[in-house]
Amino acid sequence: MARYLFGRLMGVLVVFFIVSVVIFLLMHAIPGGPYNEDKVPLSAEAKANYMRKYGLDRPLVEQYLLYMGNALRGDFGVPFQSPTETVSGLIARTWPVSASIGGLALLVALPLGLLLGTLAAARQNTWVDYLTSATATLGITVPNFVVAVWLVLLFAVQLKWLPTGGWGQWQHYVMPVAALALAPMALTARYTRTSILEVSRSDYVRTARAKGLSNRQIMVRHVLRNAMIPLLTILAPQIPNLITGTIFIESIFRVPGLGKFFVTSILARDYPMIMALMLLVAVVWSLVYLVTDILYTVVDPRVRLEKSRT
Amino acid sequence: MQRRTSPLASKRVSVWMALLLLAALLLQACAPAPTAPGGVESVAPEAAPAGPVVNALGKELPPDAAPLDQQVLIYPYSGWRTFTTIDFFQAVYERADALTDLLSDSLVRLDKNFQVNPGAATEWSVDESGLVWTFKLDPNLMWNDGTPVTADDYVATFRYGADPTHAWDFSWYYQGVIKNWTQAVNGEVPVEEIGVRAVDAHTLEFTTEMPAPYLPAMLLYSAPLQKKALETHGGLYNSNPATSVSSGPYKLVEWTKDQRLVYEINPDYKGTNIPYIQRLVVVAIGQPSQLLPAYEANEIDFVWGSGTLSPADLELIENDPELSAQYHPHYGDFRTYYFAFDVSKPPFDNLLVRQAFAHVLDRDTILPNIVKRQGIPAYSFLMPGFPASNSEAFKDTYPYDVEKAKQLLAEAGYPNGEGFPKLVMKLRAEGPTPVAVAQAYAAALKEHLGVEVEVSNMDFKSYMDELNAKPTQVQFTLISYGMDYLDPSNMLGVFLSGGRHPWSNAEYDRLVKEASSFTGDPAERTRMFQEAEKILVEDAAFVFVYHQTPGDLIKPFIKGPALEPDNNGVAAWHWPGFSTFSNLLSGVYITKDVANYRQPPQ
Repeated sequence: MARYLFGRLMGVLVVFFIVSVVIFLLMHAIPGGPYNEDKVPLSAEAKANYMRKYGLDRPLVEQYLLYMGNALRGDFGVPFQSPTETVSGLIARTWPVSASIGGLALLVALPLGLLLGTLAAARQNTWVDYLTSATATLGITVPNFVVAVWLVLLFAVQLKWLPTGGWGQWQHYVMPVAALALAPMALTARYTRTSILEVSRSDYVRTARAKGLSNRQIMVRHVLRNAMIPLLTILAPQIPNLITGTIFIESIFRVPGLGKFFVTSILARDYPMIMALMLLVAVVWSLVYLVTDILYTVVDPRVRLEKSRT
Repeated sequence: MQRRTSPLASKRVSVWMALLLLAALLLQACAPAPTAPGGVESVAPEAAPAGPVVNALGKELPPDAAPLDQQVLIYPYSGWRTFTTIDFFQAVYERADALTDLLSDSLVRLDKNFQVNPGAATEWSVDESGLVWTFKLDPNLMWNDGTPVTADDYVATFRYGADPTHAWDFSWYYQGVIKNWTQAVNGEVPVEEIGVRAVDAHTLEFTTEMPAPYLPAMLLYSAPLQKKALETHGGLYNSNPATSVSSGPYKLVEWTKDQRLVYEINPDYKGTNIPYIQRLVVVAIGQPSQLLPAYEANEIDFVWGSGTLSPADLELIENDPELSAQYHPHYGDFRTYYFAFDVSKPPFDNLLVRQAFAHVLDRDTILPNIVKRQGIPAYSFLMPGFPASNSEAFKDTYPYDVEKAKQLLAEAGYPNGEGFPKLVMKLRAEGPTPVAVAQAYAAALKEHLGVEVEVSNMDFKSYMDELNAKPTQVQFTLISYGMDYLDPSNMLGVFLSGGRHPWSNAEYDRLVKEASSFTGDPAERTRMFQEAEKILVEDAAFVFVYHQTPGDLIKPFIKGPALEPDNNGVAAWHWPGFSTFSNLLSGVYITKDVANYRQPPQ
């Protein structure tokens, strides 16, 4: 296992390096720069001054090496969008906010999705199943920002129960978490239902039943555990998406999270932020997949991470 | 065949449990509404004031004004934009959209009729050469750290603006006007040599490159940074309440990044632009689409209409009598939207082609159907109400005339559009209204002239990069310009050779430059500008579509002399808004009616 982990972590480093080169080249290939030419073009001299100020006048290779040298020492630079703090400081300030609503959304979505999916499977082809399926389809097909706007119109503008947005009080969590949770909940419910139905008809469940095991034992030991395997594959990618922030939900509900920076950093040509965010995303995704692969061995003893030596 | 039922259709998992869980979740969502920030405990400090209420700066509130602790204005700013500063001389395009430049007085300020009034400068004069201007500063002005505001603060601020290492995004503004400014920006002379100098502590002297009768109007943008703070903490000292220092009507008390800014009235303010409103809260709202809901939910008191309200929002407002009464159209910044061609290359180097294009623009259809109340037809660049505007005279230069257009295009060698290249009309990250205008025009070009046009709405920086490239990469565009100061030299200066577009006309350049520096009879000066605009319109390198008349939503509990009708009967929150550039901030207050909209703060 240690060997495997070491190999995978080295892989993360390689990914980190490749992403850094690709993103660095791509972001400098976009026209425009961090300077503002809203009304009248800057004079060549003024632009040169600006580029000099941020070290953008140096050759790209030099800029890259300088950046990576600093980054490896933990210095990710100063965001052009917020020059009074550091990139690390900005991420430390905003990421927990995004992670908190994303994490809560997961905490709501997973159990609820599992429950609904199990219910639908248990009461297959009854109204419970149809209602769950309809809700799930809605949750998967309607984008969360549309749901978000409906929530605002209903709960904030019409009923006046909740503020339209903001941050700092518990009321501010309700709508963003609900809007974020809907799609993963729906997805979980759909896959849980399908998975359980499939597993329930398998030979080993029939065998278990024939052995006289109780329904509960069959459910927990055989059905749910086996049903988890496809679920893991589907749900794992939801996690990095949810915890690194979502631009639409955060901007609609005025959540001061990391999400908006994925867009504004590119619009503002905020090179230090673009680099930091992309590297962060690369690392989070790599780690989530690593953890997922390890979890497969927990739910399914047949999965071995290292090549068998026999 | 046996009917399939689930093997798990049994006792353990109950439907009811699931329903219960759902109900619990719903209940959580239905919990009591949040009270206004702060809660309900508070009572107005003086329950029954005997005499008139006077604020910290000795200003008496009108009888219908709400108590002092409710003199709070809640204002949105766009959370999408890069927002690093609240000071003009730090970065003009990185300020929040509103409620900035409140921490010091600019030399002059505008009233609601756009007249230039004394600000920090009590009087000014120009010598006989027309080149040397003397501004007398109000000697009472103090920073709230106890030091006086002096001419040195202004000098340091202007030097900072010209400093090549600062690379100020507005440095173009004073180029060619203030002596040696351009050379300083280019690093050819030290910033100490720009034509801004302190004669004594309260006398400031400007030297210009050529006579600039519009200099006082231009000096709207002269709110100074404090020399000491600038030297100690750098240009971002106002980003943090701990290092912030104010000589203006307000002081910064809170700046929570990506969430809100809070200002309070500055009790040490010694100037003349004395506000009623005690506290300003600026809230970040990321999505323009969320402005209207937040306004309807009484979370913000104001919605800046320019480019934020969508056609759908406008329709909603129009159909709602209550919202409709709170909608105040105005001139904005005298912004004009126009189509522009790259005249340096075929096919637009041909006047006949440009004229053909001008004749198929049907303003009478586009305005009422798309732009609605957000604009009036434009036949030239200067909007009615702007000095030297001559709109009526250009109404019939290129009227909507499809037959004429077809004929002109045929004469140019493209009968029915045959052989005409396919065009891409590029837009600069425009909102829904200009995009719809562009698409309507593209459809008309296809229908009447057989010219294929693809509309491409680009991201701001990519667009500017392509527009500013030499030679330009933008062949055909819809773009806008709004004023910086109220003088034709500013608006018409956009089309001077070497400016925004490749169009170049020696006669136009001569007229605009001469008129700009002209110090004689103002009527003659106006005539020269109008002659220049005639060349601009007739050469059809630009087809003017509409003058933007943005409308703002203002809660009915905001009142005051600044919102009473101006000379043209416009009752609105006039450009340049709530800053020391305008005396709007001393002319609005919150009425008792506010109690019907929100709970008193703590």
